[in-house]
Amino acid sequence: WLFRVETTLNMFIYSSSFTYFFQDNAGQFFSSGHTNNWAVLVCTSRFWFNYRHVANTLSVYRSVKRLGIPDSHIVLMLADDMACNHRNPKPATVFSHKNMELNVYGDDVEVDYRGYEVTVENFLRVLTGRLPPSTPRSKRLLSDDRSNILIYLTGHGGNGFLKFQDSEEISNVELADAFEQMWQKRRYNELLFIIDTCQGASMYERFYSPNLMALASSQVGEDSLSHQPDLAIGVHLMDRYTFYLLEFLEDIHPASKTNMNDLFKVCPKSQCVSTPGHRTDLFLRDPGSVLITDFFGSVRKVEITMETINLTDPINAVNGELQKETYSYVDQLPVSEIIHQKPKQKDWHPPDGFILGLWTLILLVFFKTYGIKHLKHIF
Amino acid sequence: MLKLSLVTCCFVLSVVIEGLALLDLGVSPYSGDVFHETPLIIYLFHFVVDYAEITFMLADVITAVALYLAVKDYNKQVFRKQKFALEADRYPLDCLELIRSPKEMYYIPLKVAMFYLLNPFTILSCVAKSTCGLNNAVIALFILSTIKGNVLLSAIFLSLATYQSIYPLTLCAPALLYLMQRQYIPVNFRRASFWWFIVQYAFMYLGSLFVIICLSFFLLGSWDYLPSVYGFILSVPDLTPNIGLFWYFFAEMFEHFRLFFLCVFQINVFFYTIPLSIKLKEHPVFLIFMQLAVISIFKSYPTVGDIALYLAFLPVWSHLHRFLRNIFLVSCVLLACSALFPVLWHLWIYAGSANSNFYYAITLLFNVAQILLVSDYFYAFLRREHHLTYGLYLKRKDGSEATLVLK
Repeated sequence: WLFRVETTLNMFIYSSSFTYFFQDNAGQFFSSGHTNNWAVLVCTSRFWFNYRHVANTLSVYRSVKRLGIPDSHIVLMLADDMACNHRNPKPATVFSHKNMELNVYGDDVEVDYRGYEVTVENFLRVLTGRLPPSTPRSKRLLSDDRSNILIYLTGHGGNGFLKFQDSEEISNVELADAFEQMWQKRRYNELLFIIDTCQGASMYERFYSPNLMALASSQVGEDSLSHQPDLAIGVHLMDRYTFYLLEFLEDIHPASKTNMNDLFKVCPKSQCVSTPGHRTDLFLRDPGSVLITDFFGSVRKVEITMETINLTDPINAVNGELQKETYSYVDQLPVSEIIHQKPKQKDWHPPDGFILGLWTLILLVFFKTYGIKHLKHIF
Repeated sequence: MLKLSLVTCCFVLSVVIEGLALLDLGVSPYSGDVFHETPLIIYLFHFVVDYAEITFMLADVITAVALYLAVKDYNKQVFRKQKFALEADRYPLDCLELIRSPKEMYYIPLKVAMFYLLNPFTILSCVAKSTCGLNNAVIALFILSTIKGNVLLSAIFLSLATYQSIYPLTLCAPALLYLMQRQYIPVNFRRASFWWFIVQYAFMYLGSLFVIICLSFFLLGSWDYLPSVYGFILSVPDLTPNIGLFWYFFAEMFEHFRLFFLCVFQINVFFYTIPLSIKLKEHPVFLIFMQLAVISIFKSYPTVGDIALYLAFLPVWSHLHRFLRNIFLVSCVLLACSALFPVLWHLWIYAGSANSNFYYAITLLFNVAQILLVSDYFYAFLRREHHLTYGLYLKRKDGSEATLVLK
């Protein structure tokens, strides 16, 4: 191993002369603008026969963890427990491939929302951050405006909705509004949304916030199909789209340079039977320049510099006093202008024409009844 | 609240003040669903809102004075007709005890005014500051002008009364009859003078109604008072409990049948006009009394003030007391119900131990007592007329005593 270290060192020293090459790489390194990665992985179906949705979510969880996102940055929501389900012939395992090749459950799965905690309300609260103060940190999405977030949803869906727990639904409008709230509260830098349900493309139709990229396993009107059943376990183990997505992700490692355009090619119609769709019009960067590891992995930014920094001298402030810049939010609603405005109290008066007309008529009637001779006495 | 149950929440001074406040804020007073008064009331109260109690007391005094003068004139008419009939020898000899003398009729107008002013219903209505007092004043002025024989004023006051609430429209028929008889126009369908008079009166009435409606438009600048005032009276959207018959039925009505029953209930008010006017065409003032009673029983939002108005007429028919059959029962029921109204209201709303059925039972009983009172007076009146034509002691053809049966 010493030899390996030596060769790498040699490589570094050799390529140090090619600083422009480094800077070019560094340029690409910094082109995404995010500093941390989060993942929200949700399986919305319960019951044993929806084993494949849990397996989908767990395989994405496994890939994302393998590529570097720690458990503290993953919010995993599983609507049902398949590993310890009493119908599972192989307890404490969730397989993603037939012949039980790949156990995606393992020893270190950290499920944040389990069972009946997976509701539409909790999902939206996790996304928008509006959780009660007693919620532990592991159940919160503590992202900021430099976070890239991966959101993966799987379950049963339809045109414009996704079914949660067989009893409630989230609509595409609600989801789009939640993302807009996240944008306004500066809770993400870029967001990748993957959905593997029937008619999944309808769920990203309504997005209107910037920096969203979305992928779906099927178009509106199409069903997403499952991959293969396992005869020992007795249920379908994975959905096709996620199966081929997992296959694709197995080839990714933290340093790979594959970009989103390759992700869009995952699971063509010949393999998936449904037509996967994607949406990039709200994304500001070109998808070809977006790395897979920007969302699926957590790659720490390292700035390589050739200069030395002397840390012994105390760092003096540039000016004598600290420059105080007062920061304030833009006034979205000019409340102070509204509440200080008092309506002018003007009393209503009947219009003059009305008074004139009314009293003329009354006088006319009076004189008609009692005769014209009274007129003489008045004038 | 107790008072308001008897006086109908919709037509009270506090509602008028709210309407004026809305107007001061620049909003049409009809935009909320509370204010259902006509624009002329807005105009009136714009100036007198600080002196509201005096206004209502003045309205009651005007009603009493108008009723006094009207009944005085009516008594003169009755006595004159009686004198002519006596001289023409139209009365059988044994019914002389039924003839009325000026001595007994002397105090009747005063009694009418006192009946109105001292009636606990009137006092209650004035204390609760219900605009019913103003309605009563207009109707009393209408009766005064009709009995005095002034066609124009009668048409104008009738159109004012109709403009306030639609139901005085039925008072058109007795007014027409009385005015025609006063001007000696025979009430006969085939006569041209009859139709000509009707056309004149209708022209004056409709003309003044049109003028008043256009004036109201000019007051506020919009027509939205029409559905708010007349649509409210006709379609009864507000089902606050009152002493009328509408609220309970329409609270439990299915939407499908609502229009049908609404039509049935509203027609009930107007339905009795034509048969009664055919029967009572010689006696239009009694017809006015009957009509007022029918309106105040069957209207959509009755108040005790309406009841006070027709109860004020009772001294005019005090000579009928020997023919009244149910007066004891009716007076006991009316007294008991008036006493039970606040009790059951309290039990229902505040104590919670009764429910709306109790209150509606008393309402029904009260209305039944009123109907019984009115029909009793009707019977007595007709019976007296019958006796005046055929004699007091009826004999069959063979000379034995006969009994009179009302069919």
